[in-house]
Amino acid sequence: MTNSIDEIREADLLFVTGSNTTEAHPIIAMEMKRAVQNGAKLIVSDPRKIWMADIADIHMQLRPGTDVWLLNAMAHVIITEGLADEEFIQKNTDGFENVRAAVAKYTPEEAEKVTGVPADDIRRSARMYATTKKAGIYYTLGITEHTHGTDNVYCLANLVLMTGHLGKRSAGMNPLRGQNNVQGANDSGASPIFYPGYQKVTDDEARVKFQEAWGVELSPNEGQNLNVMLKSVIKGTVRGLYVMGEDIVISEPNVSKLEVGLNENCEFLVCQEIFHNVTTRFADVVFPGSTFAEKDGVFTNSDRRVQRVRKAVDPPGNAREDWRILIDFAKASGYPMPDYASPAEIYDEMSALTPKVAGISHARLEDNVKGLQWPCPEPDHPGTPTLHMDGPLNGTAHFQAVEYRPSAELPDDEYPLVLSTGRILYHYNAATQTRRESGPVAKQNRNFIEINRKDARKLGIENGQIVQVVSRRGAVDAEVMVSPRMRIGCVWMPMHFAEARANILTNDAGDAVTQTGEYKVCAVRIEAGNGHSNGNG
Amino acid sequence: MSSKEFDIKINGETCSAKTGETVYEVAAREGIEIPTLCHDTRLEPAGACRVCLVEVKGQRRLEPGCAWKVSEGMEVTTESDRIERHRKVLYGLYLADHRLDDDGFPVETANDNQLRRLANETKPLDLHPVDAPRVGRPEDVNPYISFDPDLCILCARCTRYCDEVEAVNAITLSNRGSQTTIATAGMRGLLDTTCELCGGCIDTCPTGALVEKKSPDRLPADARKIRSTCNFCGVGCQLDLHVVGTNGDGRVVKITSPPPGETVNDGNLCVKGRFAYDFIHHEDRITEPLIRGEDGELHPASWDEAIAYAAEGLLKVKEKYGPDALGFVSSSRCTGEENYLMQKLSRAVYGTNNIHQCSAT
Repeated sequence: MTNSIDEIREADLLFVTGSNTTEAHPIIAMEMKRAVQNGAKLIVSDPRKIWMADIADIHMQLRPGTDVWLLNAMAHVIITEGLADEEFIQKNTDGFENVRAAVAKYTPEEAEKVTGVPADDIRRSARMYATTKKAGIYYTLGITEHTHGTDNVYCLANLVLMTGHLGKRSAGMNPLRGQNNVQGANDSGASPIFYPGYQKVTDDEARVKFQEAWGVELSPNEGQNLNVMLKSVIKGTVRGLYVMGEDIVISEPNVSKLEVGLNENCEFLVCQEIFHNVTTRFADVVFPGSTFAEKDGVFTNSDRRVQRVRKAVDPPGNAREDWRILIDFAKASGYPMPDYASPAEIYDEMSALTPKVAGISHARLEDNVKGLQWPCPEPDHPGTPTLHMDGPLNGTAHFQAVEYRPSAELPDDEYPLVLSTGRILYHYNAATQTRRESGPVAKQNRNFIEINRKDARKLGIENGQIVQVVSRRGAVDAEVMVSPRMRIGCVWMPMHFAEARANILTNDAGDAVTQTGEYKVCAVRIEAGNGHSNGNG
Repeated sequence: MSSKEFDIKINGETCSAKTGETVYEVAAREGIEIPTLCHDTRLEPAGACRVCLVEVKGQRRLEPGCAWKVSEGMEVTTESDRIERHRKVLYGLYLADHRLDDDGFPVETANDNQLRRLANETKPLDLHPVDAPRVGRPEDVNPYISFDPDLCILCARCTRYCDEVEAVNAITLSNRGSQTTIATAGMRGLLDTTCELCGGCIDTCPTGALVEKKSPDRLPADARKIRSTCNFCGVGCQLDLHVVGTNGDGRVVKITSPPPGETVNDGNLCVKGRFAYDFIHHEDRITEPLIRGEDGELHPASWDEAIAYAAEGLLKVKEKYGPDALGFVSSSRCTGEENYLMQKLSRAVYGTNNIHQCSAT
């Protein structure tokens, strides 16, 4: 996030797109609800009529995968109606003329044909967003989990830049991160192209610095990101894996192929886990790791806030803190990994090599109960709640002209429905934690397929019935949930249920830049199966 | 509203204040405690409990400090004989309609009962008990939230929280007069309402009428409270883990939020953050290193064996196919330090940049 969570309640406009905030980020949703109560305008764009749509001024219920059309049309309105912030553009950006030219043909009327959103709603949204000063964009995986996910992000960035909604409180461009420490994992260099703090592995100076610190030669070549890595397992070019705290076989798209790859090509698989999951079925060795309550360290949240995790209890039995396992494993592999006495020492090693967090230490976090937000380059630096306050950090922000490309797999006669997948409030990802908890289980304990009443009637299926959902890649069972939230022709399924994995259905066609799978759009059909009803619905 | 700064007097002391602030807010900033039961900084002032009544010069009646807006030159008194007399009567009325212990003080459940503390400080008027026909929902099978109508003072913090903060309006004040209670539509169980089980109603309840079914009793005096960060989504809510027992047999028995205003979550938590902690001590946890045997099954092993076997396995792949035939999948669920070690393992120990986690999925 360019801005901070506590700025949300002071916003005058929230543009929430591809984020079912009340279910995926409930506490940020509370801040948004507060902003709306304080009088902020709310624009939601989402193919589902999610909770936030109920309190929105405008809900643009677009067809899944048509975001580029919608966002370019908003840009079109802003530019043609003279609402762009010319002074900001002039001073801080380049490439605006390309965008101006590219969006010329994206008129709201044409956009209506593709997206299904009334042209008038697009116009009103664009005007409201452009003419409100404290206007922030909030998005998540509804934007990124497409073959054109990067394009979607560029379109949003174009809107931010052309309206000058950057470097101001309660504005900006705010991706809400999905995991407790996905921001921190990237910041720490768990990335195929970056050392800690986004220092490029292809940058000689950075590499030399890390070589000297670690006392070994380092590879100058970019590595494979997770999506590519797992495709390499399928192809047989990656043959050994060390997987810590991720259930790759439930979380990745089109998992059936991956299972074959793990069986046939992967010669050695190490898993480090707290529970058995679908991936540990393939493991050669399983290390019992620890939960967040059993170790010290830091998590970094969506607004770049580094906060402490503190050990409350010991790991059970012979399970160990994950950092200790990694140290011993590195030593057994022949590397003199230092005997860090605590995660505080590990953090110190990292921060000494990482200018963005050089001013942060465990000791400082003891005194800062709200955490510290990077960039925080010096030990007396207060942290940075809002980025780009003195103009774009890189000096100049770049516009990117983007053309619409359809999703990789569109509905046809054989697979007539568009499936999107996602999270529900009561479960978390692979749900190894939440399915061991009574409340979430009482609320939702089986896979379901959310569908519009008209589609259900056409298929002759009813609420509570178990059906089979079939894509080109596989089939899973799900309980029918007839729902007024769905568009006609669109269905939705949660990703949490190991016995009925949505990712057997999803398409692993990847985004051109990130290779992120197209979790939000694939074509399916529904087969009524034996038609038995499931009682308590 | 244009904000103007000016001085007011509280108990004779000059305090600076701004347009729009309440007496309670200015007093709190100055370190003057005005007792209250129904006020929560996350909620619009309701002035419902009448505990915070203060004297405002020029006003005939006592006024609620939580809701009374300051104005230039205002003179406020927060402690006086008149206020003391008012509180004696008020607490006496509350106690007459409250479950009391053998000593005649409000009963305390798992959570603090602030009425008990206030009644302890003031000698309340002894009034004849009222047996109010206020009903609860004893049949409600939801796994987390229970409501004891005999400890409810109808301050409506829970219903206002459910409306103003969580905004799902699952609970509401219902019925009239002495029958007034905290109800759901049709007195249904919470699982059959719009309730999202966030437990914010429990957190804001000042008397312990709402408690967690998972942790219904008062924790022992030696229970520890450890501040940490939630392990679910990316909001970064701060938590206090309540732990009983030590060294090896310590257990997390409750999770609460730090008070409003202190951290990024402003006192709030969701259903997962507050309640989903059973996994920590679950019997399904993997507690031994495991090695897959010739029989295709995983078998317990010592740490030395498992680590040596695993290192040998990955080193063999590296030898046979080169470092880039290895992949390291780190975790967005683990700490920053562990992610640092994982990428160091991948790069410095095994010589490959094939290190990532779920952030591109």
